[in-house]
Amino acid sequence: MDAILKTENLVMTYRVGRVDVNALRGVNLSVGRGEFVSIMGPSGCGKSTMLHILGGLLKPTSGKVIVDNEDMAGMTDAERTDTRRRKIGFVFQRFNLFPTLTAEGNLRLAEQIHGNGKKVVDEEVRREVLRLLRLENKMRHKPLELSGGEQQRVAIARAIITRPAIILADEPTGNLDSENSEIVLEMLQKLNRELNQTIVMITHNPEAAAVAARTVHMRDGMIVGEK
Amino acid sequence: MDNLVASNIRQRPTRTLLSVAGVALGVVLIVLNTGLVEGMLNDRIKRERGVGAEIRFGRSGAMLSPSSSNPVDVRYADRLMKIEGVGQVSPVGYYIQSGNSGLGMEIVEGVEFESYSAITGAKVVEGNAPKTDQEVMIDEFKALHNKLKVGSDIQVFGETKKVSGIYSPQVGSRIKMPLSALQNALSAEGKCFEILVKVKDPEKQDDVRQRILDELPGNEILLTRDLGVGVGREIPGIKGFVRAVLVLSVIVSALVILLAMYTTITERTREIGILKSLGASKGFIIGVIEKEALTISLIGVLVGLIISMIAAWALERATTLQLEFTWSWILRAGLIGLGAGALGALYPAIRAANKDAVQALSYE
Ligand SMILES: Nc1ncnc2c1ncn2[C@@H]1O[C@H](COP(=O)(O)OP(=O)(O)O)[C@@H](O)[C@H]1O
Ligand SMILES: [Mg+2]
Repeated sequence: MDAILKTENLVMTYRVGRVDVNALRGVNLSVGRGEFVSIMGPSGCGKSTMLHILGGLLKPTSGKVIVDNEDMAGMTDAERTDTRRRKIGFVFQRFNLFPTLTAEGNLRLAEQIHGNGKKVVDEEVRREVLRLLRLENKMRHKPLELSGGEQQRVAIARAIITRPAIILADEPTGNLDSENSEIVLEMLQKLNRELNQTIVMITHNPEAAAVAARTVHMRDGMIVGEK
Repeated sequence: MDNLVASNIRQRPTRTLLSVAGVALGVVLIVLNTGLVEGMLNDRIKRERGVGAEIRFGRSGAMLSPSSSNPVDVRYADRLMKIEGVGQVSPVGYYIQSGNSGLGMEIVEGVEFESYSAITGAKVVEGNAPKTDQEVMIDEFKALHNKLKVGSDIQVFGETKKVSGIYSPQVGSRIKMPLSALQNALSAEGKCFEILVKVKDPEKQDDVRQRILDELPGNEILLTRDLGVGVGREIPGIKGFVRAVLVLSVIVSALVILLAMYTTITERTREIGILKSLGASKGFIIGVIEKEALTISLIGVLVGLIISMIAAWALERATTLQLEFTWSWILRAGLIGLGAGALGALYPAIRAANKDAVQALSYE
C-alpha cells in the first residue's frame, strides 16, 4: 500500500526537571493514502504526543516521521512549520476556532495561511466541503453563536478546506454530546469516502473508533495491537 | 471587516483606546511643540523684519541667538552715525524671560524711544512712553490678547511693573522699556545687545555694511533681509528642547504600544498556538501583531493631529502665542508615531512568534 504517513522507531522523551518521561518508545506506524485510522489507548499513553509529532508541532527525540515523502524529524522548526502549512490539517477536542472571527473568517484565515499570500482554494472544493458538513447557513456566525457540534464542523471544514495530505484529529468528539458526536463522526467518514481524505483520529471511545477502517491500540508509548 | 487584525482591535476597546491615546499624546507633543517653536520664530522674524533698519550691528557670535547678555558698547552708535550712508541708529538691549502663559519665552527690549521710533515708525497710540524704571509699553497685539490696558500690571524681571503706553505697529519684541532701565536692571551700564542701523539709501545697504565692517572690524553686521535664512532662526536651547520632545514622544508611544501588545499576546496565547497549528510562520505571526499595532498607531496619529489643531486654535485664542504647523513636522510626527508603534510591538511580536506551539494550544 502507498503510505502517505510512516514513522520508524519513533521515540519521544520529555525532560521534566531531572526526570525523563518516555512518552513514545519506538512507534512504527504506517498510514495509507485515503485511509481512516483511529488510535485508542489509555490516558497518558502518548497518543497526543504522537499526533503532535506527526503534525510537526513537536520534534521527536529520535526516529523518522515521513509525511508525503518528507522526513520531518530531520527538519528545522521553520521547515516543519512549512510542511504543516502545506500538508497537515489539525482538528482538536476544544475546536480552537478564533472567537472574534465568523466561521467564514476562520476559514479564510486558514486559506490565507495555507496559500502563503496566494489564493489557492478551489471554490468547487469549498462548496463541496461546506455541503458535506452542512455549514452553508452557518458561515456568518461567530463560534459562540454556534453549538458545540457546529463549531467542530467549522473546525473540520477549516482543516480540510485546504485539502491537506493528512487530517490529524485529537479526540474530536471529546467535548460533544453523543448526538453531536455521531454527526461529526459520520461527517468525518463521509469526507474520508467522498474526498478520499486521509484521517488519523485519536479517540477514547470504542464506538467512535469503529467509524475508522482500522484501529491502532497504544499503551505506555508503544503500539500494542491493531484491528 | 472579518479579519484577525480588525476583529482583535475591536475586541478590546479599552485597550485600543488607551493605546490610541498614548500614540496621540506623542503626536500632540511633537506637533504642538514644534508648532510653537516655528510660530515663535516666524512671528519674531516677521516683527524683526518690520523694524525698518536694514542693518544690525552686534558682537560676533552673539547675534545668532538672542540672550540677556548685552555685549555691545552703546558708544558704537556715535561711531556708526559717522559712517557714510548711515541715516539713523538706535541701540537695543535684550532681556529674555519665560512667556506669560508659562509657554515659550518672551523678549523684553530696552530702547531709546526717540531714535527707535525714528527708525521703525512705532508710535504711542495710547498712554505715554515709559518714563520711569517701573514702566513699560506693549504693542497692540499683546494688549488685545493679554487684555492689558494703560495702567495694567505686567510682570517683567519677575517684578510687577505698570503699562504706561501702547504702541503700534508691532515691531521687534512686544514689551519695551527704556534702555537705561534695562541696563540698570541687568547691571549692564552703557551696554546693549545690538544697534539698529537705517541706511539713507536701501539700495546701497551692502556697500554700507562693507564700510562698517572695514571701519569697525571684529563685529558682526547682519542684514535684516537675511533674517530667517539660518540667521536669527535660533532660540537658546531650542534644538535640545525639540530633541527632548522627540525622544519623549517616541518613548511614550513605544511604551504604550509595548504594554498593550504584551498583554494582548499573553491573553491570546492559545490563538497564537492555533495560528501555529495552521502552519503560520514566525513572520506571519509577527506580521499579524505588527499590523495590529500599526493600525492602532495610525488611528493614534490621526487623533493626535486633530487634537493638536484644536489645541492650537484654543492656545491662539487664549494667549499671544502663534503656532505654525509645517507639513514637514506633521509628516515627521506621523512617521514617529507609526515607527514608535512598530518598535514597541516588535518585542511582543517576536515573543509571540517564539512561543511553543503545543504549550500555547493548551493555554487556558
Ligand atoms: N510537555 C510535556 N512535558 C512533560 N511530560 C509530558 C508533556 N506532555 C506530555 N507529557 C507526558 O507524556 C506522556 C504522554 O502524554 P500524552 O501524549 O498527552 O498522552 P495521551 O494523549 O495519550 O493522554 C504522559 O505521561 C504525559 O504526562
Ligand atoms: Mg491526549
